[in-house]
Amino acid sequence: MSVDSKFSHKIWQEEELSKMVSGGVPYPMLSDQGGRIGTTYGVFDEDMGVNVRGRFIIDPDGVIQAMEVLSPPVGRNVSELIRQIRAFQHTRDTGEVMPSGWRPGKPTLKPTPDVVGHVWEIWKPEMAFE
Amino acid sequence: MSIMIGKQAPDFETEAYFEGGFTKVKLSDYKGKWVVLCFYPGDFTFV
Repeated sequence: MSVDSKFSHKIWQEEELSKMVSGGVPYPMLSDQGGRIGTTYGVFDEDMGVNVRGRFIIDPDGVIQAMEVLSPPVGRNVSELIRQIRAFQHTRDTGEVMPSGWRPGKPTLKPTPDVVGHVWEIWKPEMAFE
Repeated sequence: MSIMIGKQAPDFETEAYFEGGFTKVKLSDYKGKWVVLCFYPGDFTFV
């Protein structure tokens, strides 16, 4: 979603994005002319008149589970986005929690009383970087 | 309405371009699905 019109989105998709991704980006390109929605979400920069790089993960109940906001010069990490979605899906399905550095396939934690004070035996700092 | 994790995402409806046509997208129509809502500064920018 950007402050561009749906017409601009069409041309960008046809002229450039479809050359990066076969068939173009496969999701709706939303128009937020005037920045009304961006203002609601706290990502509209009034001085520049644009929405900055805000990214929200919204669960099936419509609840915000994660948000990230970057200033315009730096792009996002899609792998990290996917990792977070999988983590939130996993905790929603199982009630387990994901320690720092978790990715699919790595150990999760069950938040039970017997783990209190013993996380150090299960999780090591180097696991945050693996 | 304030934005906060654990709280409802504010609903909106707006115009969109999708699959070669113009349409309208309403956030609450996606209840039951995971949604990634991405804002970016502008079409044809570099990053």
